[in-house]
Formats: sequence, structure tokens, C-alpha cells
Amino acid sequence: MTTGQAGGADLVVLAKGGDREALDELARRAGPKAYGFALQLLRNREDALDVTQEALVSFFDHLDRFDEARQLDPWLLSIVRNQAYDFLRRRKVRAAESLDELLEQGVALPAGQAPSAFDRVERDELRARLWRALGELSSEHREILVLRDYQDLSYLQIAEVLGIPKGTVMSRLHRARRALRDLLRAGGGFGNDTEASRDHAQ
Amino acid sequence: MRSETAFDESLLSGYLDGELTQGEAQRVRVHLEDHPESRRLLEELAAMREAALTTELAVPEDDQWDPRPRGPFSRLSRRTGWTLILLWLAVVTGLAVWGWWTAPVRWWTKALTAAIVGGPLLLFLSVLRDRLDVMSTDRYRRVQR
Repeated sequence: MTTGQAGGADLVVLAKGGDREALDELARRAGPKAYGFALQLLRNREDALDVTQEALVSFFDHLDRFDEARQLDPWLLSIVRNQAYDFLRRRKVRAAESLDELLEQGVALPAGQAPSAFDRVERDELRARLWRALGELSSEHREILVLRDYQDLSYLQIAEVLGIPKGTVMSRLHRARRALRDLLRAGGGFGNDTEASRDHAQ
Repeated sequence: MRSETAFDESLLSGYLDGELTQGEAQRVRVHLEDHPESRRLLEELAAMREAALTTELAVPEDDQWDPRPRGPFSRLSRRTGWTLILLWLAVVTGLAVWGWWTAPVRWWTKALTAAIVGGPLLLFLSVLRDRLDVMSTDRYRRVQR
């Protein structure tokens, strides 16, 4: 097995044994993941970069404490979360950036999934509205939404990151989603628009 | 409309995420048949999730951050370094206290020296303790952006 093919926990085992390639590979994988989560929590590239730096240093410093029976992502994201909140307490955050400034340009969709121009505009608009509405949520609601809907973590993994029982995840997540949905409706008539356009089409 | 016990709306999120047991999922399907407002809510939640999942944020180039992965040697040397510094600090402090205690000077000179050194030291320790208390209790609950 090469380091490129190894899973996260395997890489940690190799890295603990002093394998330099495994450490580099871990850094390559952990960096973007940590940065993405930090950016979604802090909504500013400079802040996210600062937090990612600190989180990665902490991640590698405490690598020997990682239990290989666990999954790597929740552990990494919980470190990023702690660093992000420490950062928020310590420093004045910079202004949130708009989604347009942060988006990956030219992302290719798999064949057959390319949306029509109309769908694309509608979807882009929903994404932008979502991003703005996300910024208005409490940090408790935002973090759980980001972990589930942007980072695609399971309820068990979310429970691990947030340090809450798995049973609490579903109810808190649903409250967060409802709050976000209400903000979307209030801001741009998310629900009313979709229904109105559907009625119109019929 | 079928009669049913109070429906826990958060099951809709569990249903959307595929996190329910078979029995719970069946309960949601039955509920959805009779409740168009819940169907609409589920559709909206699904649209939100789809939009979120397909949002690709740009990631900086590797050279924009320096993760500085540390190998076992650098971790060991760092820890050893800290241990030696703490050891040195303990020895120096011990010698200073011993020297102060046994110095052949008048008692008020000793008291004055103790006040000059002890005052700032107590202030420092009190600030340090406050910081540690804040760090160890309820670290994130009060954080709101």
C-alpha cells in the first residue's frame, strides 16, 4: 500500500512511525478539509487561513494521541472548531465575504448532470442566499449545518465533533435547518418562490 | 386523515439524511401522505442540502499555508526542551528563595525585596489563573458572532 492509497487512520500509523511521506500526505489531505470548515465557520479567507495554520500545527503536535480506531475527519474538524472559537474570542473577526468571492471557479459536473442555464442561475441564487442566511444563524446552528450539509458528516461523526449525544444531533440539526429555511423565506421568499414557479409552470 | 400520535418533526431531517430506523422511516412516509406542509418542508430542506453539498469553495494553493508536519524526533525534542526549561526555572527559583531566606540582611530589607518581587508575581499568577479558568469552563457556549 502506498501512502497515496492509505486511509486516514493508516496514514496516522505510518506518520507516528516517522514516515515523512505519510506526514506530507496527511498534510495534503488535512489542509483543504480544515480550511474548508474554517472558512464555513468564519466566512473570511484570511481568518480561515490563520485558523487552518493553527489547527494544522495542533493536529500534528497531537498526532500521537490519535486513536486509530476512530475516524480522522471528526478529530481534525473538532480541532479546527476549537481553534476557530478560540480565534473568535481572541480577535476581532474580519468582515464576512460573499459567496462569489469564495467559490471554486470552473467546477466541472459529471456528464449528464449539467443543469440548464435557468436551473444553474436558480441554483446559484439559492446557494448565495443560503450563504448569506447561514451568516445570520447562531454559531450553534451554523456549525451543525455546516458539518452535515457542507461537510457531509454522519450524525455519529457530528456527535463526535461537537461532543454531544448522537440523539441530540437530529433535533438540533432540524432546528437549525428550520431557522435557515425561515431566514430564506423572509429574505427572498425561498418557499413561496419555488411554489409559485411550480404553479406557474403548471 | 389518519389519526396519529404527535409527530416529531425532526424525524424529517433524519429521513432526509437516511439516519432513521426502518420503523421511523415508515412512520415518516405515512405522515407525509397526509401532510402536504411536511412534504413541502422536506422538499425545501432537500433543496437546501443539495445546494449546500454542491457548493465548492476555492482552496488556496498548498504554498499558502505552512502546515509544518512534525515528525516524532521534532516532537520529542520540543518536549525535552520544555522539560529542561521548566527544570531550570524550578532550580533558579529554589536558589533565589534560599538566597533570600539566608541572606545576612535586616528583616525589613527582606520584606521590601519580597514585596517588589512578590507583587508582580502574584498579579501574573492571578491573570494566569483567570485565563486557565476561562479556558477550562464553558469555552464555546457564549461565543456568538
